[in-house]
Amino acid sequence: MSRPGFVLEVDERTPALLVHQGEGFRLEKFPLGTRVIYPPESLPGLRGLDGHIRHALDHPLGAEPLRELLFAGMKLTIVFDDLSLPLPPMQTPDIRGRIIEAVLELAAAKGVDDVELIAGNSLHRRMTPAELKRAVGERVFRSFFPHHLRNHDAEDRDNLLEVGATKHGEVVEINKRAATSDLIVYVNITLTAMSGGPKSVSVGLASYRSLKHHHNVHTLRHSKSFNDPPNSAMHHSYDRMAGVLDAQVKIFQIETTLNNDTFPSQLGFLNKREWEWSIRDQATYLAVKRANDLAPVRQRRALWHRTAAPYGITSVTAGSPAEVHEVTLRNVLRQQLTEVDGPSDIGVWGLPYICPYNVNSIMNPILMMSLGLGYFFNLYRNQPIVRPGGVAIYYHPLRNEFHPVHHPSYIDFYEEVLAETTDPVAIEAKYEQQFATDPWYTHLYRNSYAYHGVHPLYMWYWGAHALEHLGQVIVVGGDRRTATRLGFRAASTLDDALEMARDVVGRSPTITYQHTPPLSMADVR
Amino acid sequence: MSGEREERAQRAPQPRTKGQHGEREERQRLRYRKAGTAVGLLKETRTLLSGRDWRGRSRTPRSAIEHESPEGPREFPTGWARMAAVRAARHGIQCAGLTPLTWSLTRPSVQGLHQLESLTGPAVFIANHSSHLDTPLILGSLPRRYARRIAVGAAADYFFDARWRAAVTALVFNAFPVERHGSRKLRSLAPHLLDRGWSLLLFPEGTRSEDGWMGQMRLGAAQLCVTRGVPCVPIVLRGTYAAMPRGRNWPVPGRPRVVVQFGTPLVPAGTEGARGFQSRLAGAVSQLWAEEDLGWYRSLRDSADGRLGLPVGPPAASWRRTWESSRPLPSRRAEPAWREDALP
Repeated sequence: MSRPGFVLEVDERTPALLVHQGEGFRLEKFPLGTRVIYPPESLPGLRGLDGHIRHALDHPLGAEPLRELLFAGMKLTIVFDDLSLPLPPMQTPDIRGRIIEAVLELAAAKGVDDVELIAGNSLHRRMTPAELKRAVGERVFRSFFPHHLRNHDAEDRDNLLEVGATKHGEVVEINKRAATSDLIVYVNITLTAMSGGPKSVSVGLASYRSLKHHHNVHTLRHSKSFNDPPNSAMHHSYDRMAGVLDAQVKIFQIETTLNNDTFPSQLGFLNKREWEWSIRDQATYLAVKRANDLAPVRQRRALWHRTAAPYGITSVTAGSPAEVHEVTLRNVLRQQLTEVDGPSDIGVWGLPYICPYNVNSIMNPILMMSLGLGYFFNLYRNQPIVRPGGVAIYYHPLRNEFHPVHHPSYIDFYEEVLAETTDPVAIEAKYEQQFATDPWYTHLYRNSYAYHGVHPLYMWYWGAHALEHLGQVIVVGGDRRTATRLGFRAASTLDDALEMARDVVGRSPTITYQHTPPLSMADVR
Repeated sequence: MSGEREERAQRAPQPRTKGQHGEREERQRLRYRKAGTAVGLLKETRTLLSGRDWRGRSRTPRSAIEHESPEGPREFPTGWARMAAVRAARHGIQCAGLTPLTWSLTRPSVQGLHQLESLTGPAVFIANHSSHLDTPLILGSLPRRYARRIAVGAAADYFFDARWRAAVTALVFNAFPVERHGSRKLRSLAPHLLDRGWSLLLFPEGTRSEDGWMGQMRLGAAQLCVTRGVPCVPIVLRGTYAAMPRGRNWPVPGRPRVVVQFGTPLVPAGTEGARGFQSRLAGAVSQLWAEEDLGWYRSLRDSADGRLGLPVGPPAASWRRTWESSRPLPSRRAEPAWREDALP
């Protein structure tokens, strides 16, 4: 039986608590009275997973069984989440591959010849063949790559189709092959409440023309939070677009949820509550910590990115996207939600080495901002864990490092745009078109492994709500010059950061540390 | 922006780290890091161990107690510790090591031993508990016929959670695991041991006192005496909290005085229930506790008048409670309640 999440209040018995810090971690003694949000313990994974997958396909919600929807001569497109999910990548076999195999077994039995597999990577970088193989499995890869297993190309004008527009004037433009198929089967992994459901097709297969309607500063500032779909303007936009899509395309959605087994057993202490660490956990901590600190940055990064999570699957649900997603969200919240009593003056987060956009890559300063002020800040329901005008403290080395192949437009954004302004509204007005339509970035996105030119701006918008909400952002252990460029402040230690924060929130601030990963979501009452 | 294409393309293949930190700087940084390894490890270890005891275990933060994981069933066999060879070894350890060491680090004053002279057969000894000194002091004070055939109830979750610790505890003290916190995972060995003629030493509070004062006595010992019809000997230890309180692994310097006070053995009456017997035990413990402060006769009088309760301490702030109970005992016991010159 997994224990529910809870809020710890640091007392004199509390040992030093683990905090992630980029490609590393540390133990930190928090001030007495600090609240620490722990997620529920990892739920047990489903046993007999293939049986659960077959059951989901045969007993879908709000749709006919998949075998009834397949027929010879049809055009079938299977779309799957790209490498941004899950985080860290899961140990093989990947659940996407297992589901796709089950779907293809049914399609083969029905004599479906015209099958295409598309990674729903939207404006993300293309997945490499090795990454595709890892996601879909050897058998699927061998049968379909390269001609019928590919990445979505949001800049291939010939292969995009405008399906329609919402009553708000939002253009719905998606991959043409998918839009003209008799059936889209979408294979999803829902890691946070933000993903899945109406977002899957309307974002994963969309173009910039379509994405700009919800990936903008105004929408994101009114998404409070974007992990709480009923209160997220971004999700309202997804819903409207999904309505347009439903009228034109038949979508059979298969969604899965994961438990909180984020780190392999060798790093088991990262999944445990600190006062329950055994002697072995403590010895492992010391050994891993020292080895990690001594390793050169590149080797350290390579090691972390080779770490695969032994996730258990907590649910497999299939059917119509809206009905499936309701069940999926319940399962996500069952694993992640912890009730918290009101916001505090200061919020603390330890940022890990990975975010959705640096898988097998470098977490550059823009991505640190997106992870901290976008993803982690928004891991709440009702209200943020920090009061308006409060201070956010993040742990991250914040190195001025960029992956030149994956993030070329990020480099220019950092050097040219952030040097001038950090205001999301100003950036959107002045630079978005320029970055979105730059032919060099477009070329790299389509032919190399680069994120789309506009992606760094989207990452900046991702933190727009937090920037507006917070009085100050402090990065513990962060490079000072880089922090200054981002509009943040750097501190060497937590004590320094708290001292700096006191200028903003007063002498006796309340502090809340959101202990994640494993992912926790705060239900702040 | 098109004019910058070539420049950008040239710049692209080189990661920024290269440009900013040359190989030489990187090597130098690595050298510094290696030099700091020992210091870093020490610092890490210190941070890791802060808030943990010498075994590396942390107490559960108060707000996390209700979220503790239910522990899996486990049992440590202790039968071997009562075999003849092990008993001989234990006798050697206690006589040559434990008792002399305890007596050299503290100044025990053992009183009331004559009460045990008429006692025959196995008995249950109960004592207040505020220090790790308590067990060695009692074992070292007991007459040999009891000291050689006594088993000590020890917290299963504390002394029997690791095999090596369980083995050492069983060997040195002839300890057997006692479940506390209402757990029923282990079958109690106590009735079995009494049936086989072993006396028992139990601490009915279930744990060492946090502040030196007594906590509520649990019903288990009284229940055992009533159901098995064995006598119970109350013992009160004074000064052990001041000598070595919870959190210390060694007595304070200066050989502090400690008192081991044996009371009159109490035998459950034929129709007496566990609660009634427990109440008598509590009265005896209260009287023994007061004897150190008031003298024997005055404590008897106060007890008879119902003026004594279990010594749970004053209803004051925790620091005051600790302050009071950590006061060293006076080097001599209190003056008797009567005046020498008033005697006939």
